[in-house]
Amino acid sequence: MSSLLTVYAFDELWSLVNIVRYGFQALQHRGSQLYVLCTVKDGVTCYEDDDVDISRHALDHVAIAATYADKNGIKTSVVSRDGVEVAVVTDRAWRKLPDFASELIREVKRCRNVEEAFKSTLQRFVDEKDSIPSIQILTNNREVIAWRTPHGLTPLVLGSYCFDMAIVSSESTAVDILGGDVKKFMGAGEGVYISRYLVKTFATSISKEPSLCMFEPLYIARHDAVVDGVSVYIFRKLLGEKLAEHLDTEVDVVVGVPETAIPYAIGFSHKIGKPFELAFVATGGRRRSMLLSDPFEKIIAVHLKMNPVKSVLEGKKVALIDDSMVTGATMKTVAQILRFRIGVKELHIFIASPQLISTCPFGIVNLDMKTLLAANLSSDLARDYLEADSLHWLSREDVDTVCRKFSLKLCGRCFGVNFLGG
Amino acid sequence: MKVLLVGSGGREHAIAKLIRRSLLEPRIFVAMDYRNPGLEKEAEDTGGGWRIVKTTDPQSVAKVAEEVSPDLVVIGPEEPQFHGVSDILREKGFVVFGVSRRCAEVEKSKVFARTLMWKYGIEGRLYFKAFRDLSEARKFIEFAGDVVIKPARQAGGKGVKVLKDTQAYLSKDRQEVKKTYVEKLFSEMEHFVDIDYKILVEQRVEGVEYTSMVITDGDTVLPLPLVQDHPHAFEFDVGPETGGMGSIQGPGWLLPFITREEYLKTLEIVKKVLDVLQLEVRDRYVGAFAGQMMLTGIWGPTVIEFYSRFGDPEISNLVPIVVNDFLEILDRAASRRLAGAKLEIDEESVTIVKAIAPAGYPDNKVLASNHPIAIDEQRIRELGCETLYASIEMRNDGFMYTKGSRVFEIVCVGKDYEDTYKRSELAVNYVRTLDGHPLFYRRDIGSKELLSDRVRVAEKVRIVYRSRAEKGLLGKMLVWVPGEGIFENPLIGFVR
Ligand SMILES: Nc1ncnc2c1ncn2[C@@H]1O[C@H](COP(=O)(O)OP(=O)(O)OP(=O)(O)O)[C@@H](O)[C@H]1O
Repeated sequence: MSSLLTVYAFDELWSLVNIVRYGFQALQHRGSQLYVLCTVKDGVTCYEDDDVDISRHALDHVAIAATYADKNGIKTSVVSRDGVEVAVVTDRAWRKLPDFASELIREVKRCRNVEEAFKSTLQRFVDEKDSIPSIQILTNNREVIAWRTPHGLTPLVLGSYCFDMAIVSSESTAVDILGGDVKKFMGAGEGVYISRYLVKTFATSISKEPSLCMFEPLYIARHDAVVDGVSVYIFRKLLGEKLAEHLDTEVDVVVGVPETAIPYAIGFSHKIGKPFELAFVATGGRRRSMLLSDPFEKIIAVHLKMNPVKSVLEGKKVALIDDSMVTGATMKTVAQILRFRIGVKELHIFIASPQLISTCPFGIVNLDMKTLLAANLSSDLARDYLEADSLHWLSREDVDTVCRKFSLKLCGRCFGVNFLGG
Repeated sequence: MKVLLVGSGGREHAIAKLIRRSLLEPRIFVAMDYRNPGLEKEAEDTGGGWRIVKTTDPQSVAKVAEEVSPDLVVIGPEEPQFHGVSDILREKGFVVFGVSRRCAEVEKSKVFARTLMWKYGIEGRLYFKAFRDLSEARKFIEFAGDVVIKPARQAGGKGVKVLKDTQAYLSKDRQEVKKTYVEKLFSEMEHFVDIDYKILVEQRVEGVEYTSMVITDGDTVLPLPLVQDHPHAFEFDVGPETGGMGSIQGPGWLLPFITREEYLKTLEIVKKVLDVLQLEVRDRYVGAFAGQMMLTGIWGPTVIEFYSRFGDPEISNLVPIVVNDFLEILDRAASRRLAGAKLEIDEESVTIVKAIAPAGYPDNKVLASNHPIAIDEQRIRELGCETLYASIEMRNDGFMYTKGSRVFEIVCVGKDYEDTYKRSELAVNYVRTLDGHPLFYRRDIGSKELLSDRVRVAEKVRIVYRSRAEKGLLGKMLVWVPGEGIFENPLIGFVR
């Protein structure tokens, strides 16, 4: 998980220090383990840090930046050649990145047109089996390209602030938080070239059949985000309603695992006409437990997130909703809390995704096969492990139905299928 | 009929095209600042001629008029009006379609125009504060909130800084920009000796923009169809303010996102302003007048500024759709016989205008200038579109060169937006620079996506202003300062 961010102020009066900082904050849920910032001083300079304060370097009026949930692999490359300098930042690790960057700079020198150079360089990397990530580039001439990966696995939006700024971000939330308006959802393989005197969007011939990563609307994006024109909140609510169709018994209350599962639970409750209750209160800031790789850290995060509101749950038949179940560790913890600390009468667990059974071939979400609950335990065994009265997942057809409503095509390789919304 | 057209750009070319079809068989003479090849051609085709003069210099223009001895003079741009060109020609007995210096104050001075609206309580007015002196402005800006900073004088579609400031966490950064900008703008406005106030800070509003143009002889007001301009330089409303990158019109008198009621309200505002303006300056308004409007949640139809001339590129949209004799209308206005005149348009069609500009426009004139450029007008005509020549000069070497602003305007007409859009997108391909300098235009203008976005935004603000209207809150912006009371002042920021 990660996100890209470009801020281009057309007026040199702007310093972007705070603007990049708040942009990062609006994207933190997509990763806060590593921050990258590239800007132009004497030449192109890139900074890397695990602290959001890295934005202090954004003193120029042009910056490209990124946040990541992990520090693995090569995601940034800066190259220079006879007075031309280029920084290339990708939204996921790409082992071809150094080659790409040096090829790119050769092309820039050759054809003197950054957009053309970028396109022709891409051409040479198409045959690669591993999909090319989304890319941002910045030259010492303050020319920027932000380009969306050919399958559109991860999203990209173009926004603007008054007459003064172009903003590109992996998620619409950054544009909102920076006071801008979202102007365009970039298509798969589509890019935007931004310089002081020219802005234009362009398509590349390597655009593929689009398929957005299922995790994007399911888990990664914030509820207030709009991904490829689709409201994440409404998408989640509709999946929640679908999920409710799997209910085959009576429940008294519906609760969601905070915070991502809340809209699913609201949709679920709406559908069955039983109250949705706020069941857990978090301590400390919001941390996305799924992002933590250290299992102990993860449990700590879960425990801090889940102080239960006992009175709404005690002695009740509870439908507990979560957006996805990877290792089941979070769910196990929550189930234990509900069973032992509260004493619910019945516990029915609903997962708003199909079963995760394989790793992500694109490295968007880092999954380890041997820790995937659904890939290793039978449904009955999983239910017993979680001490639930029943355990339900969304079916592929459920997801398809909702996708179709929004004309969304989702990549679901980690669920063993692709979801067609067309 | 001999017509002398004053002005050098795309707007004048549109006027020339509109009047040359007249039954009055005009011979068009043009007084222009540089050799605009489009205007040259209109002049030559109609058996007229052209002169190069400084169009803002009343004496020089008068000399040309005396030579040509036209039956009617039409003044295109605002600057000649600001400099009294209309007045001197009238004094010399010419029949002039053009606004007097005193009346043109309504465009030249944004302070004057806004003050007028407040004095007479005209709807659609915005809060503002004007500054003559820098230190006072500096002090004020310390506490300014969600505002727009503008030059107090019309400066050719530049210099407006819109600083949306609704988020306290970024307010300090915007504050810094406001402060530096005020300094910068003051020093830029220094050279205008013809104004009192230098800058203006006004309430920022949001919504959809549109232009309502009219022709008047001072008594009768003849409305033109609504047109929407696109001020951002780049696609999807990104980037710096320009004089307008293109415009859309139709079908009919309205735009797809403006209701009849809003159109009528707009006309009511425009007419009231014309009335009180003439009263205030004690002069008759003869010429074109336009309200550059925004449909906002604060007021509904809201005035952003006024033009004392036809909008550029807005007038270009009319070229293919005016059905009756436009010259006759201008002539009747100029000779104060407009009562009873009617403008007929093709109400079934829509028009899309796309401006093409050299990279560098609008902020780097040097970069954008002096590039040799070519166009295949024939191919554009085959697509059912017309070409207007704007900031482009014919030089003695026989080549045409960019002059730093929008070079061409391509005007397309059709039965609906989809079809017209498609052709306009093809037509823009027939322009190129001969030295490879990049050109740009906005692909999104006239597109279905942009249009539906406008409809969506208009619908949003409509809900707001209608609800405010019910509560008697139109135009009001209440601020409560505990201990001091309720004020109407939207200009102050989060922290006083
Ligand atoms: N009060 C305001 N609130 C929000 N936006 C504004 C406001 N005033 C101006 N703008 C924006 O700035 C643009 C230019 O403003 P304005 O028309 O006053 O300036 P100008 O330089 O005289 O432009 P032109 O003559 O080219 O129309 C408007 O089209 C509008 O988009």
